[in-house]
Amino acid sequence: MKKLLALVLALSTVLGLLAGCGAKENTAQPTTEDTANTETNDAPETTDDTAGTGTEETTDDSSAVVVDLTILKEADESMLNTYSMIAVNPEAPFTDADGNAVSDVTVNTAGADALMHWLLLPETLDLAANYGMEEYGNTLFYVLEDAPTYEGEIPAATDETKTIRLSTTTSVNDSGLLSYLLPQFEEAYGYTVEVQSAGTGKAIEAAKFGNADLILVHSKSQEEEFVNAGFARVIDGMETERVSFLYNYFVLCGPSADPAGVKDAATVLDAFAAIAEGKYPFISRGDGSGTHTKELSLWPAELGITEDPESFADYTDWYTSANAGMGACLVMAEEMGGYILTDKATFLTFVANNGVME
Amino acid sequence: MGSAVEQAVQLIASGDRELLNILSVTARMSLSSSLIALLLGVPLGLLLGACRFPGRGLLLVLNRTLMGVPPVVCGLIFYILFSGVGPLRHLHLLFTVEIMILAQVVLITPLLTSHMETYAAQIAGPVRETAKGLGLSRWKTFLLLLNESRYPIFSGYLLGFSRAIAEVGAVSMVGGAIAWKTNVMTTAIMQYTNRGNFSLGIALGLILLVLSLGMNLALSLLQRKVAS
Amino acid sequence: MNLYAFAKSFGGQAAVTVPDLTLEAGTLYAVIGANGSGKSTFSRVIAGVLSPDGRRPVTEAGLRVGYLPQKSYGYRLSVLQNLLLASRDRDQAARLLEAVQLSHLAGKPAHRLSGGETARMALARLFMGQYDLVILDEPTASMDMESTMLTEQLTRQYVAETGCALLLVTHSLQQARRLADKALYFHKGQLLEQGPAKTVLYEPQHPETRQFLSFYGS
Repeated sequence: MKKLLALVLALSTVLGLLAGCGAKENTAQPTTEDTANTETNDAPETTDDTAGTGTEETTDDSSAVVVDLTILKEADESMLNTYSMIAVNPEAPFTDADGNAVSDVTVNTAGADALMHWLLLPETLDLAANYGMEEYGNTLFYVLEDAPTYEGEIPAATDETKTIRLSTTTSVNDSGLLSYLLPQFEEAYGYTVEVQSAGTGKAIEAAKFGNADLILVHSKSQEEEFVNAGFARVIDGMETERVSFLYNYFVLCGPSADPAGVKDAATVLDAFAAIAEGKYPFISRGDGSGTHTKELSLWPAELGITEDPESFADYTDWYTSANAGMGACLVMAEEMGGYILTDKATFLTFVANNGVME
Repeated sequence: MGSAVEQAVQLIASGDRELLNILSVTARMSLSSSLIALLLGVPLGLLLGACRFPGRGLLLVLNRTLMGVPPVVCGLIFYILFSGVGPLRHLHLLFTVEIMILAQVVLITPLLTSHMETYAAQIAGPVRETAKGLGLSRWKTFLLLLNESRYPIFSGYLLGFSRAIAEVGAVSMVGGAIAWKTNVMTTAIMQYTNRGNFSLGIALGLILLVLSLGMNLALSLLQRKVAS
Repeated sequence: MNLYAFAKSFGGQAAVTVPDLTLEAGTLYAVIGANGSGKSTFSRVIAGVLSPDGRRPVTEAGLRVGYLPQKSYGYRLSVLQNLLLASRDRDQAARLLEAVQLSHLAGKPAHRLSGGETARMALARLFMGQYDLVILDEPTASMDMESTMLTEQLTRQYVAETGCALLLVTHSLQQARRLADKALYFHKGQLLEQGPAKTVLYEPQHPETRQFLSFYGS
């Protein structure tokens, strides 16, 4: 009995400690209005003014501003964020880990066709275009004007075509769009969509490893490379392998005080130049994701920043390569009072949840 | 207590269907993998600890090496083997609970083998000599050794289970953390952390701890009964 | 029955060298010698728990050998279950438990017994079986006077009833004199002298044996 008591005691201590951490994380996030001393924030100091604001269940004071990070630059042509679907070609030049050709890779082409066709139905595109209005008071995605639509029949699932493997980016998944749309598709036609989410680079790599039937990503250059390497196929009723259908804008966010004067910059490129010039803290995804790829294209060429860690070794005093998901990077930017490039959908959900992601 | 506890309690109380699914996949995975690892590791460990045979030294070294394999490397190997382009692609096991169990068995069995080997080496002498002296068969001797090892078998199972339920590197690679299918507590925590939702991650972590605590208590009670 | 000559060495160091031996059924042999004389190693090789150098067999094929290790061990079973390991004869088990005065502990887990109780249990457990050759390695080392007497009586009785040959390894000259028909004397790994107890234990031929007796014999 004594042993048992000791065990319970030890575990409750651990629980208590962990709970303590949890509380600190929670209180640390909202109190970063004054960004100067975030590092030294102590729980006792900050609990008073932030009690309860950290979690989403406190609806009473959720109107209080808890996120300082604001959109400073958006809707710039160079910030267009286009989402495309690509069906994987079973006849693609697959190679195994040693580079040997592999011919008989299983790809659920019928399933991929069904899902792509369904996503391109006018009704579905409507759903996508209105997604977010209810929850965030703002739509998160726009339908491309020249997006192809599909009006034909969609076959119900069979045992062979039932499971569809969709490899997508964290930004799509985290926006909640897929968990809003896919159940309706699954219910109507009997498919099961298995969504794996990673940065665009990894999402495409998964498809090249034969582990996806289609991809939904947002990095034009990486997509074109995928298509050109022969991994894609044109599905029935479409003209190209790469089917672009949704878009939104990348937005440049930063502290509301905007020390770099990004707001007044003529273009996004100027804004990035100003951040680099003044060496203001900047958080990079650093994970080969679509957002990361976009960010790399916006720095002044003479800085020479690429995904190679060597290339920004000299800038580490202000340039942070986080190698983390969008949400984690936003939390970091909020705490450090840094600038960050993000897709608008993720940012809006981040703000709507008082600085956490659901 | 912080709001993470509140959130954890709320999560459970709300009976969130996705959470329940994550819990059941986690339970299925860790219970099966630790059980299979136990079934492999116990006889192997007893054999290595109690018997002298050619190749035993090599097996011991091999086992210790396997104990040091980082889970993520194990996951990567399985990912490559079972990928759509991998040599074992026709089994269609990638992104299933089965392969998560398999990868964990590979990770946990060496641990249990070593655990049992250490114990068996301590008690094998008297157990075997006494059995030999009574003219008992090898099989009966093994059963006696097994019976003598009741206590370490229980602690070994707990060791394996704890490792299985807490493991993330291998299961996230081979399972893909697919919602409703292969997402377990640890991969869900990782996802929430990646999204920056630390408090939900901690809430899940608390649930994991409580589960682990419950399992530990239940087994120590059982152990008390059986091992006395 | 015949025992074949063997040698046993540990790490290149010869521990014991034994010539061919012939043992007679229904006879109790005392194996005596100082500590480290090799008598225990000798018994462990005969019992089959140690392999001799060259791994050649030391007993005839099919010979049933029973062996009681020096340190007796109670399995995590009840005392009664421990006894039933060698034979399922419950009546015999009851008689033996009675004989070693453990009847009241039949249901107790054997690994919870005291040292003396474990030793008595182990003896009863061994005597549950039928053997051609029995080896007892210091069976009374951890026993009090009363248990020792009990054990000696039971041992004699077992030899008489089953007609087996029995090797009793003991450091007690008195015990050897009380029980043995014949005796083997080991000195520095060599079987120095063997023969009837009357000779070896009272009037040995070898000067080394004589010295041993004068040292240990009161």
